[in-house]
Amino acid sequence: MEELKGAIAVMGYGLAAIGPGIGIGLVVASAISAMARQPEAAGMVRTTMFLGIAFTEALALIGFVLFFIA
Amino acid sequence: MLSMLTQVLFLFAEPAPISEPATEEGGIQLLLPHPDELIAGLIAFIIIFFFVWKWAVPALNKTLEARQAKIRAEYEAAEAAKVEAESLLGDYREQVAGAQDEATAIVDEARVAGEQVKADIVARAEAEAEQIKSRASDEIEGERERVAGELRREVADLSITVAEKVVEANLDDDMQRQLVDRYIDELGGVH
Amino acid sequence: MEQLILASGACDPANDIICKPDNVIELFKFEDNLFAIGPWGITRTVFLILLAMVIVLTLLFFGLRKRRMVPSKFGVTIESLMQFVRDDIAVGIIGPEGTKYYPWLLSLFMFILVGNLFEVTPLINFPITSRMAIAGGLSLLTWVIFVFVGFKKNGFRYVGALVWPTTVPIALRPLVGLIEFVSTFLLRPLTLAVRLFANMVAGHLMLTLLLVSGWVFMSSVGEIGARALIGVPWFAFGLGIFVFEIIVAILQAYIFTLLSAVYVESSIHIEH
Repeated sequence: MEELKGAIAVMGYGLAAIGPGIGIGLVVASAISAMARQPEAAGMVRTTMFLGIAFTEALALIGFVLFFIA
Repeated sequence: MLSMLTQVLFLFAEPAPISEPATEEGGIQLLLPHPDELIAGLIAFIIIFFFVWKWAVPALNKTLEARQAKIRAEYEAAEAAKVEAESLLGDYREQVAGAQDEATAIVDEARVAGEQVKADIVARAEAEAEQIKSRASDEIEGERERVAGELRREVADLSITVAEKVVEANLDDDMQRQLVDRYIDELGGVH
Repeated sequence: MEQLILASGACDPANDIICKPDNVIELFKFEDNLFAIGPWGITRTVFLILLAMVIVLTLLFFGLRKRRMVPSKFGVTIESLMQFVRDDIAVGIIGPEGTKYYPWLLSLFMFILVGNLFEVTPLINFPITSRMAIAGGLSLLTWVIFVFVGFKKNGFRYVGALVWPTTVPIALRPLVGLIEFVSTFLLRPLTLAVRLFANMVAGHLMLTLLLVSGWVFMSSVGEIGARALIGVPWFAFGLGIFVFEIIVAILQAYIFTLLSAVYVESSIHIEH
């Protein structure tokens, strides 16, 4: 079991990255359609998009930390 | 070649001990802050912060304010210059319009004066011509009278001469006729 | 050659298809002192941290030294960078009172940007932000600042509004409050630090493994013959990642600064 440790941690990170991956995709897709609809608000939308990405990313980052701890 | 490039690539890198057995909790070591680096990082950041706070931001603000002031001053100067130029332009327009009126008036006046002068000259010339004409006809008249008077006097003289000659010579008819003819011839020679 | 295998561990190009180190720590740890100032030993990382500081100070100093009416190209770059941080991040996120936090945000941005770009700087090739000390230290500072600002502006209502949000139904309030509390006081600094750290670690690992492994394969062509060609795509891929990492370096500096501003803003205006 000890020899499998590394592999399990990698799989754990992979699983942790699925949700945020989909989430970031949704955030960016909405941001792009918002920018396309209102190009004059692009600056504000971009800032908000980065914020959304940052919050969504949190889970993936926790997974990354656990990968090192495990 | 390879060793040279290697040395360039890892100029600062200390060769890490190779093939050291991996420690049990290797991963967590990467995640924990190293105290030396933490202290160095915080000191470096605080130095940067004070530099930015005390020097960089005021410097940029001063530059921007100076630039703003200069642009504003230049803008205002340009605005003033524009107003001045516009008033000058108005003045010049007025002046030009006045000058045009004046020129028209002068030309009109000159034309009127010219007409007058022309009329004067024509009238004077006419009067002079009239005068010359009348003087010439007077002269002609006088000449004629003088000639007529002279002629009369001469005719009288001739008549007297003829009479004297007639009286002087006893005359026969033939001679008389001859005399008269000669007289007439003389008369014709005079004329 | 031995030095080059620093990254790839005991790599056997004949059998391994990619050279990976026994322990990635070796890529990030420089325990031996380069030199020492008095009692303090300066390791390579500490030296790079101080170098980053000197570079930031130099950039700012030479960018702003001459107060010219028409700045040079370099001056314009520095000035527009500073105005970008002020207008887009400080004032754009926090609002008019953001100018108070502008020096802090600007130093954050510049320090992290230079630290990140060390990753793709020739001869250095090591992002100091891939050390948890820098990423964690700066995010700890952000945490201290936004908590302090929250208490200073709103008193204890700051925590009260977090753990008892009046905008959600009363039954959900304990749950939402707990989530908010944990997310604000634990996850925020953690994710802020780990985001920067993880991006830089991943980038540095990718670059080192791909470039070094490509180089190891190509240079051992005498021993393994035509199989050395496998090094070419590795190296080319590494160069592609190199360009990508430049973008990541700039983006991560921007995001760290942006999120710091957002956290401060949410501490000032607790209503939403």
